Amino acid sequence: MTDHLPILLLLLPLFGSLICVLLGRNNAAHSWVVAMISLGGSALLSLLMLIKVLGLKSGDFRYRMGGWPESSSYEVGIELRVDVLACLIVLAVMIVGFLNTIYSKTRVSAEVGEKGSFFYALIQLLIVGLCGIIMTNDAFNLYVLIEITSLTSYALIAMGNRRAALSSFNYVIMGTIGASFYLLGVGYLYIKTGTLNIDDIHNYLRSENLWASQSIVVAFILIMLGVWTKMAFFPLHGWLPNAYSYAPSMTGTFMAPLMTKVMVYVMIRVMLWLFGSDFVYSTESIWSELIIWMSVVAIVAGSFLALARNDIKKMLTYLIIAEVGYMVGGAWLGNLNGQAGAFYHILSDAAMTFCLFIAASIVIIRTGESRLNAFDDLFRKMPITMIGFTIGGLSMIGLPPTCGFFSKWYLIKGGVETGQWEFVVALLFSSLINAVIFFKIFERAYFGKIKGIKEEVTVQDRDTIPAGGIKSVPLSMLIPLCVGSLSILIIGIMNKNIFSWITKALEMVNG
Amino acid sequence: MKFFGLLSVIIVGSLLLSATKDFPDWGDQDSPANEGPVSSFYIEKTEEKTKVPNMVTAVLADYRGYDTMFETVVIFIAGIGIIAVLRTYGNNDSTPKNQVGDEGAGLLAKITCSLILPFIQLFALYVVAHGHHSPGGGFQGGVMLGASYILLALAYGLARAKSCFSEKRTLVFAAVGIIIYVGWGVLCLIMGKEFLNYSALDSILPGGVEMARSHSMLAVEIGVALTVTAVMFSMFSNLSTKGRLDKGL
Repeated sequence: MTDHLPILLLLLPLFGSLICVLLGRNNAAHSWVVAMISLGGSALLSLLMLIKVLGLKSGDFRYRMGGWPESSSYEVGIELRVDVLACLIVLAVMIVGFLNTIYSKTRVSAEVGEKGSFFYALIQLLIVGLCGIIMTNDAFNLYVLIEITSLTSYALIAMGNRRAALSSFNYVIMGTIGASFYLLGVGYLYIKTGTLNIDDIHNYLRSENLWASQSIVVAFILIMLGVWTKMAFFPLHGWLPNAYSYAPSMTGTFMAPLMTKVMVYVMIRVMLWLFGSDFVYSTESIWSELIIWMSVVAIVAGSFLALARNDIKKMLTYLIIAEVGYMVGGAWLGNLNGQAGAFYHILSDAAMTFCLFIAASIVIIRTGESRLNAFDDLFRKMPITMIGFTIGGLSMIGLPPTCGFFSKWYLIKGGVETGQWEFVVALLFSSLINAVIFFKIFERAYFGKIKGIKEEVTVQDRDTIPAGGIKSVPLSMLIPLCVGSLSILIIGIMNKNIFSWITKALEMVNG
Repeated sequence: MKFFGLLSVIIVGSLLLSATKDFPDWGDQDSPANEGPVSSFYIEKTEEKTKVPNMVTAVLADYRGYDTMFETVVIFIAGIGIIAVLRTYGNNDSTPKNQVGDEGAGLLAKITCSLILPFIQLFALYVVAHGHHSPGGGFQGGVMLGASYILLALAYGLARAKSCFSEKRTLVFAAVGIIIYVGWGVLCLIMGKEFLNYSALDSILPGGVEMARSHSMLAVEIGVALTVTAVMFSMFSNLSTKGRLDKGL
């Protein structure tokens, strides 16, 4: 039974989405129940899978679709491969998906109206796509699943307000270009190797010593470009801020923590498993140096752009762009601490972005104001929400014992070990900027309106907030926020264990 | 902006070109993609293992059936996504019936359509049913079947086509198509083998393990065809009426 866990995990939300579609419109309440059951069940299954994998000696297990045997040690079918890293991220996806479903309970009717069941169908399919991406061991199957995640996210974003359609269109163009680059790269690899299985491609490249081949180098560049576009790595980030901030709030709270992170995971997988560390970090190439500089630019630019924004969600989306810089840089440092730090940051960033987005959505919904002055005096009015926001913010800044501190700690350690001082400086600098951004908000929230700031909020304005509107945040919104902020602390406190699991899995692939 | 566009096109173009110098020769029979262990397995073993003469279908529906399942889901998402974005539920009933444009095309077009529609649909069904023996399959047959309903809508107006294929029905068809495909895989799971391992079904399908694979390919192709048909028509009707599904065109 436990051998079938990976596919059962995917089938539950897949069937859930079909049921939601069959329920038809005006059936958001039933669809919500279906989504809760399917995602809750999948979250449990992924926990089981993590326990199973942790108990395995070999560190990973495979699942052959269609049961096709190997032919002279090459896979003819499609294979799933699950190790600790995949399990951790699948678990994160499922938990965020489940919590986000709880959050969406009251929001769906308000934001997408009669189409609630279609919303749930799409978001469950998005989760299927993300988990499939994480677990697959086939380069082309990965593309198909990227297509699924892209199409669902285009639709989910475009369901938002009037400006969402245009930003979704922007995302369609950028996302399609990114996915096409990835596909071209896989095509080049297939021409040179004749197989699509990630391990088989790697072994073939190694046995034929194809590292120097121009086609392989170009394939690598194309795949990297494609993945960077999908993860909004700095110069390719244009689609992200509008798409995530104009989307329906429950779409933003799901996609912001997960979409870019899963693509970072794909990048690490392509780098270490598909091409292999001795090709990626080969000493003759200037790649690592160049890309670390690019990530430095991403971190600095993302932080500055976030500082310049006065819109809560826009600010958070630019912080995501800076965080993507952390992870890309860490993965390219080329040592274990950097890779593991980047990986650990995937988890911690998912937790803290989720927390911040949920808190920000609650604030925006309850105060009806999307600029930073929404936070005025909020500690008194919405204490629980603000505590959640504070924990998320402190984690972004990187204060112990939040997980943001430990991921930065490992990344900085990796940077120091390889002597990439520019990366270390960029990380510290971005922490500083984050501190400025978040303490500005905390100050507002504690002391109310700050004198000398131009956008004046008069007392009358603040009194127009419907009575009880601010205080009565429904439980369905507070629970995910509380669990999210708890998980920030849990991931932070458990950092030793998680980090040792990650390094063990990474040591196996690095040889 | 245009300059940067041109620049990136030139850079990417030269990258792509520079990679081709390392490629195997055009049509080289010894290239890895032609001669590698995977493709030789497909070429040599397909007939023996699946009793399907059309290798392409065997790769599509069996060896890489998991991919095709998700491709079908992609089509399904496209249909649901268009409904989710475009569909507006207004009080359509208040609009007066039989307006200009609701009548469809002229008499000539109507008669031509009614003459060729049965043949289109019959051929579509043939393409679906024969997909594992000759070129064709669920995607192609489904598109043809969907096109026949679109033609009906073009000639007789959307209302006539909707009387055959209402919105509710398109959604049910689209979902049922995927349920057939995925359900077939789950059936293999229940019979104790891996997901989509059709050989598990030899006890309930006639003709041994190989024929079980062949029959299963037909079954999943039917699922694909249902989804594609429904989504094709749903996309057309939503796009042509801006999501109102009233008169159309």
